[in-house]
Amino acid sequence: MGETIPQTNAAAPKAKQVYTSKNKPIWCPGCGDFGVFASINKAMQELGIEKQNVAIVSGIGCSSAMPHTFSTYGVHSLHGRLLPVATGLKLANHGLTVIGTGGDGDGYGIGGGHLVHSARRNIDITYIIMDNETYGLTTGQTSPTALMGHKTKSTPFGVIEMPINPIALAISAGATYVARGFSGDPVQLAQLIKGGIEHRGFALIDVFSPCVTFNKDNTFEWFRQRVYKLESQGHDPSNLDMAMQRAFEDVKTQYEKIPVGLFYKVERPTYGDLEISLKDGPLVKQAAHTKEQVQSLIEENR
Amino acid sequence: MSSINVRIAGANGDGVESSGTLLLKVAANDGLQVFGYRGYQSIIRGGHVWFQVRVGDGAERLLSHGEGIDVLVALNQDAIKNQRSHLNAGASIIYDPTKINVQEIDPATYKLLPIPLLDIAVKESGDPIMRNTVAIGAVIKLIGINMSVFEDVIKRMFGRKGDAVVKSNVSVASKGYSHEGISTVYSLKSDGKARYTMDGNTALAIGAYASDCKFYSAYPMTPASGILHWFAAHDNKGVLFKQTEDEIAAINMAIGASFSGVRAMTGSSGGGFSLMVEALGFAGMIETPLVVVEVQRTGPSTGLPTKTEQADLLFVMHASQGEYPRIVVAPRDIDECFTVAVQAFNLADKYQCPVIIISDLFLAEHFESVDGFDIDSVRIDRGKMVMSVPEGTRFKRYEYSDDGVSPRAIPGTKGTEFIAGSDEHDEYGDLVSDAFSGIDEYVDIRVKMHDKRMRKMDVMLKNENLFVPSIENPNAKQFLVTWGSTTMAAREAVKILNSKGLDFGVISFSYLLPLDKQKTSELLKGKKLIDVECNYTAQLAQVIMMNTGIDIKDRILKYDGEAITGHEIAAKAEQLLKR
Repeated sequence: MGETIPQTNAAAPKAKQVYTSKNKPIWCPGCGDFGVFASINKAMQELGIEKQNVAIVSGIGCSSAMPHTFSTYGVHSLHGRLLPVATGLKLANHGLTVIGTGGDGDGYGIGGGHLVHSARRNIDITYIIMDNETYGLTTGQTSPTALMGHKTKSTPFGVIEMPINPIALAISAGATYVARGFSGDPVQLAQLIKGGIEHRGFALIDVFSPCVTFNKDNTFEWFRQRVYKLESQGHDPSNLDMAMQRAFEDVKTQYEKIPVGLFYKVERPTYGDLEISLKDGPLVKQAAHTKEQVQSLIEENR
Repeated sequence: MSSINVRIAGANGDGVESSGTLLLKVAANDGLQVFGYRGYQSIIRGGHVWFQVRVGDGAERLLSHGEGIDVLVALNQDAIKNQRSHLNAGASIIYDPTKINVQEIDPATYKLLPIPLLDIAVKESGDPIMRNTVAIGAVIKLIGINMSVFEDVIKRMFGRKGDAVVKSNVSVASKGYSHEGISTVYSLKSDGKARYTMDGNTALAIGAYASDCKFYSAYPMTPASGILHWFAAHDNKGVLFKQTEDEIAAINMAIGASFSGVRAMTGSSGGGFSLMVEALGFAGMIETPLVVVEVQRTGPSTGLPTKTEQADLLFVMHASQGEYPRIVVAPRDIDECFTVAVQAFNLADKYQCPVIIISDLFLAEHFESVDGFDIDSVRIDRGKMVMSVPEGTRFKRYEYSDDGVSPRAIPGTKGTEFIAGSDEHDEYGDLVSDAFSGIDEYVDIRVKMHDKRMRKMDVMLKNENLFVPSIENPNAKQFLVTWGSTTMAAREAVKILNSKGLDFGVISFSYLLPLDKQKTSELLKGKKLIDVECNYTAQLAQVIMMNTGIDIKDRILKYDGEAITGHEIAAKAEQLLKR
């Protein structure tokens, strides 16, 4: 902190930009979130977005420290509240690229309600959930995606609740881009994130991002043995029925086969496309209300 | 007689509210003053609802919906049963003799005005609901308003629906107007000035709009929903309204929108505000301007959803963990709903902190004749906004400064990128929490950053001439001390008391946090004071005690859910004097 950043992008906007900051990530060595960080960075590089037009919004948790590793705009918001913050930010300036970064507890637990509603309103945000099936920052309690039987500090006798199915949940709630990546495959993950950013609408990317400290069950190795790529099986992401079938494949196979890749993608008008107040351009760029407008609203009360 | 009270009473679904609104508009357009308030329940059909319209001489602003009923429009039998105890001596009762039994009403004390409302409505328009309009026609005759004023108002209200609708309304009302036995008995003096009619929620929303508020996010909750409805209806007028999944989303969206650079507001009643509490401190921490409206109702819990109270003051003043700068202001009347909303956005931007406007059901939902607002004097001050930083330097969004306010930039601006952190952070916005807290250098940063934020409170106290109560009738022997909407009733009480030779003034608070301790103390010191507010624990008196050490022992407190009136305060003040 406190250092002067080198001038990188002052001249040509199309030149290669530095999106990262000099802040050191807070993550444990070997944490899955490093791979996600690299993938987000790569996706932005490939898209060449001007960094002043990017806002990265997070909640609270290990993975929610993500915005600080970048030198774009961003908000490190409250636990579970990244989606409403990101939504307000996007609605006020839909010229921005808004990326949400958070964890499974943040997004599927405390913020679960916002996820459902953000998906159905198809707000144009790319939401990356780093899913490690545990609460890392609070030192290892159970999470909404922890598998049945998993033992944690808060479930010493094993989890007795079904895990959330993020993919099926997002599709049924109306998300228009639903994917799953694995931090162990940053090449594929970068492509999924890039696709999510390019997609107009609500994109949910659930990322297996193993916690090397508190989750000794769902490790990199555990995932490596189980994940397979959807595209290798000829999956058609425009097919809703097929997407839902694949979304339950992990459950049906007792988590022996876990598909990763793009499950579902559909074009649908975004909330911003349909919101009448945005037809004159980004709200933040619209002219100030005039005295005549104010007076006409007073006149309505005649 | 300088004013009369007309109460329309019936069941939900009878059109009580629309007829009350119509009467308000007609009288206000005739150059009379109006004050309207309604009693209703949280049900959609049935129940017992009333709408009281006080109409007064054009020259003098009304301060309450008045005591008792001078004209009762009884739309069902319940109206007679529930309202008879409120009738003033000599009151007129308009009722439909084919539907309502008035045997229990003494015709020597009250004036019975039977009109076959339903028959006339059906015959003239084919629509039974129009019976209210027949009754309104009769009322405007009783108070001496010309039918042409009624026609003008109807044209404005229903003109879009076509001539037939207008004509039907006018012909139905004319039947009531010219009905046998109906003559002008109350002579009120018009001053010839047609006025607007609006409630506090509308005035506040218009004030926000005038201050260039472009974003309102909220979840429906009585009695704040009026603001929501206003913004929803004007979503095509350069302001975005978003109904959210809950109030947590509402406030966080407003914070997000404000971060992007638009003026943003959220609002709710106490229950919804409770859900917003964590995010209030978040806005304070990331120094993002925010205006929050809290429209109080009778609580706690679900409480009495359609009744009024002022019991959330201490709550909003202390809501959210930790310390952060904030402003709390309670508009005292409808005009102030407008001006306070304008001020709130400027203060939020100048001091980059949350401003809470605390209103209440009575203020929010009562109607008044309004002359208009001074929109020429509206100034927009966005505070310390920057568009660039010197080349090669990193933007310090949270730079230490003498006034505690740091330069603010919005996304899209090149070179001023930063991350706003809900964690404690340094001047750049980088965290001092997770990895560094407790290390000497960072302990120092925490203290400096907290000092910087909190310093804004001292600076605004010094720079803004807002944070003191106002005094009316300053040479009086004793004073009613109050805040927010109760100020209206206190002003009315003072008039009543003074007319009885009791020398009273009013000291009233709109801004309650921060408070200029010295000036407040000087104003209150050595005076005989009676604290008047609508709660059990005398929350204003507690605030005064906290800030000045002055303990106001005489108190008039009301918490039955009904709006306090001047007569009520005057009677209790007299009792206190006699003690």
